[in-house]
Amino acid sequence: MSMTDQPPLTPSFADYMDGETARVQRVQLEIIEHADRSVLRITLPDGGVPIDWPLADLRLIPDQADKKAAVLGQAGDNPARVVVSDTDLAARLTAVCPNLKRRHKDPNVLKRLAVLSAGAVASVALIIFVLVPVMADQLALMLPARGEKALGDTTFEQIRQALTENTEYGLPLCDAPDGLVALNKMLDRLNPGTDFPYEINLHVLDHEMVNAFALPGGHIVLFRGLLKDATSPEEVAGVLGHEMGHVDHRDPTRLALRSAGSVGVLGLLLGDFAGGAAVLFLTERLIQAQYSRGAEADSDTYAHALLGQVGLPTAPMGDFFLRLGGDNTDEDTSLLSHLASHPDLKGRAQAAVDADQVGEVYTPVLSVTEWRDLQNICDS
Amino acid sequence: MEIQTLQTDYAGRRWALFWLALKSSILTVLTLGFYRFWMKTRLRRFYWSAIRPGGVPLEYTGTGVEKLMGFLIAVVFMAFYIGIFNLLLMYVSFSLLNDNFAAYAMSFIGIIPIYFYAQYRARRYILARTRWRGLRFGIDPAAWAYAWRALLHWLGTILTLGILYPRQIFWLEKFRIDRTWFGRERFVQEGGWTTLLPAATHLYIGIGLSILAGVIGWFNPVGFALLGLSVPWLVIGLVHFKVQSFRILTANKRLGGAIRFHAAPRTGRVFGIYLLGNFIASMILWLGLMALVVGIVVFLAMFSQLDVFSEDFDALLDSGDAIVQFGLIGVLALLYFSVFVFWGVLNQVFVTMPLLRHYAETTSIANSHQLVLISQRPRDEFSEAEGFAEALDIGAAI
Repeated sequence: MSMTDQPPLTPSFADYMDGETARVQRVQLEIIEHADRSVLRITLPDGGVPIDWPLADLRLIPDQADKKAAVLGQAGDNPARVVVSDTDLAARLTAVCPNLKRRHKDPNVLKRLAVLSAGAVASVALIIFVLVPVMADQLALMLPARGEKALGDTTFEQIRQALTENTEYGLPLCDAPDGLVALNKMLDRLNPGTDFPYEINLHVLDHEMVNAFALPGGHIVLFRGLLKDATSPEEVAGVLGHEMGHVDHRDPTRLALRSAGSVGVLGLLLGDFAGGAAVLFLTERLIQAQYSRGAEADSDTYAHALLGQVGLPTAPMGDFFLRLGGDNTDEDTSLLSHLASHPDLKGRAQAAVDADQVGEVYTPVLSVTEWRDLQNICDS
Repeated sequence: MEIQTLQTDYAGRRWALFWLALKSSILTVLTLGFYRFWMKTRLRRFYWSAIRPGGVPLEYTGTGVEKLMGFLIAVVFMAFYIGIFNLLLMYVSFSLLNDNFAAYAMSFIGIIPIYFYAQYRARRYILARTRWRGLRFGIDPAAWAYAWRALLHWLGTILTLGILYPRQIFWLEKFRIDRTWFGRERFVQEGGWTTLLPAATHLYIGIGLSILAGVIGWFNPVGFALLGLSVPWLVIGLVHFKVQSFRILTANKRLGGAIRFHAAPRTGRVFGIYLLGNFIASMILWLGLMALVVGIVVFLAMFSQLDVFSEDFDALLDSGDAIVQFGLIGVLALLYFSVFVFWGVLNQVFVTMPLLRHYAETTSIANSHQLVLISQRPRDEFSEAEGFAEALDIGAAI
C-alpha cells in the first residue's frame, strides 16, 4: 500500500503533555502516512524536533467521562498524552489507527496471576486445614476445665438460638419430670469409670432431627427425633456412650477452637465481618459434628467398652446405625438423611454387632414404662 | 498576588455512568465478585477523567489485574492473622475469663490498626495511579506510622466525647498531606487544628445537647425526648463540619512554593444531594423491585400452570421438594443480588457523582502558572496495590 486515497488532512491542534513536566502545550497534529510506518506527527510550539508516534502504537484511554474529547497515549508505559477535542480529527484517527482499543497485554501477567492465585489458595488452605487444626488440638488439651465448660455453655445457647425462630428463649429443653427421671437413670447406669473433669450435662432438645451431639465441657444433647426413632432404650444408651467417648477425647473442644479460627478466615473471604453467617456456620458444624473417621471410631470403641462394662449389649447400637443408613425414610427427610447415607455407617454398625459381649440376656437399661416416659419427655 | 487561577470543570454524564456502573455490577455478580477489581478500576477511570482542573482531566492508571493480585497477597496475610489471632483469643478468653465476650471484643480491636494501615496503603496506591497533566501523584510510605497515630487520635476523640474530633481531622490530614507529592513537588498542610473550630460549632452543640439529654434522661426518662432534637442537630452538625473542614483545610494547602487552593463547597448542597439522591435511588429501587416481583409471579402463573394463589402452591413450597427448594433459593438470590446491584448503581449515579461534581466545581488552583516548573516522579510499583483495603472492604463506594 502506498499513499491512501483520502484527502490530505489540514493540520489540527490538540493539548499535549510530555509526561516529564506539568506543562500543557498546544501542539499541531498531522497524520503522516508511509508504506511501512504511518505516524501521528506532533509539532511542538517551540519549534523543536517534531515527535512521531506510530499509528499502530496509538491507544485510546478508555472509560473517559468527557465523550467529546479523545485522550490518546502510546502502548507501554509512556505517560505522555494528547487530548484531542477536534471531532473531525478524532474520527479520522479512529479510522486509521488499527489498535486504538487494544488493551495492554503483558504475557507474564497471566502466569504471575496463576502462580499467585495457586499460592494464595494453597496458603489459605494450609492455614484453615493444617495450621489452625494443629494449634486447636494442642490448645484444646491445655484449656482448663472451667474454660471448657464456659465454651460449651456459650455454644449450647448459640445452638438453641440457631435452631429456632423463637429468638427470645431459643429452642425449648424437654423436661417432663418422668422423662427426666428415666434419662437420669440411663445416665447413672452408664456413669463412666473414667473421671471427667466436669459433670456430664445431658439435655433433650425439642426438635425432630434424628441426631445427638456433644459440646465442650460435658454437654451432651439428644434431639426428640432420635428418641422417637429409636426402638429400644439400649439404642439410645449406645448413642449416649458414643457421645461420652467424644467428651472423653475432648473432640468438641478441638472442633470449637478450630472453628473459631477458620470461621474468622471464612468471614474474611466472604466479606462478612459482623459474623452472622460465621456463627451459623459454627453452630452447624458443631451440630453435624463432622469429626474425623478416626475420632468416630475411637468414640465407638469407647462406647462398646463402656456398654460392656455395665452389662449392656452393643448390637442395638449397630441396628440403629443400620436403620439410619438404610432406606428408612418414613419420617425424616432433612439434612440428616443425607448424612445418614454416609457409607461409614454400615461398617460402624458391623463393628458394634461384633463387639457385643452381652447378647440377648441383660438387665434392660429402662423398664417399658420408663422407656415410654423418656420417649415422651417433650410432651409437657 | 495571584497571577493565574485554574477553575475545575466537571464532564461526567449520568447516563454514561449509569451504564458503566450497571454493566460492571452485573459482571461482578456473574463472576461471583471477581470482576469487582475491574469494576472499581473502570469507575475510577470515569470519575477521575470527569474532574478537569483547568480543563485537563485527571487520569487513573490502576488496573484490575493489579488490584486482584494485591487482594490475593493481602488475603493470605489476613487469613494468617485472623485465623491464628482468633484462635488464640478464643483460647485466652475462655481459659482466663471463662467467657467469649473478651475474645470478640479483642478480635474487633485487633482489626482496627490494620484498618488504618490499609487506609493509608490504599491512599498510596490510588495516588501512585493518579496523573494530571501527565505527572504522577505519590505519597511517602508511612502506613504503620499513620496507623498508630490514627489509633491514638481516635482514642482521644472517643474519650473526650468528640470534642477533639477537629484536632484529629487536622493532624491526620496534615500527616497525609505533608507526605503527598505531585511530580517532584511536595504538598504542605498549613494552619492549625483550631482553624477548624468555627466549622465545628454545630457539631459541638449537637454533642452538648445529646449529653444533656442523657443526663436528664438518667433522672427522668422524659429527658430522652430531647434526643429528638439533639440527634438531628448532631448529624447535620457532622455533615457541616465535614464540608466546611474540607474548605478550610483546602485553603491552607500549598503545593511547592506558591501554588494554593480554594474550595467553596456548601453544606446545604451536600446535605441536599444526600437526601434527594437517596430518596430518588430508593424510589427507583422500590418501583423496580415491585415490577420484578410482579413479573416473576406473572411468569409462573402463565408458563408453569401453577396457581400461585392456591393452597396447592403453599403446600408445594412447604413440601421440601429439592427442585422447588432450589427454585425458591434461586428466585430469592436473584432478588437479593438485584437489590444489591441496583442500589449500588443508583447510589453512584444519584449520590457519589453529584457530590464529586459539587466538590470539583467549587475547587480552584491559584498561582497555577508555577505548575509548569514541576517535573515527573518515578513510578511507584507497589505490587500489593490496595489489597488490604479490599480484604477489609474499606471505601466500598469507589
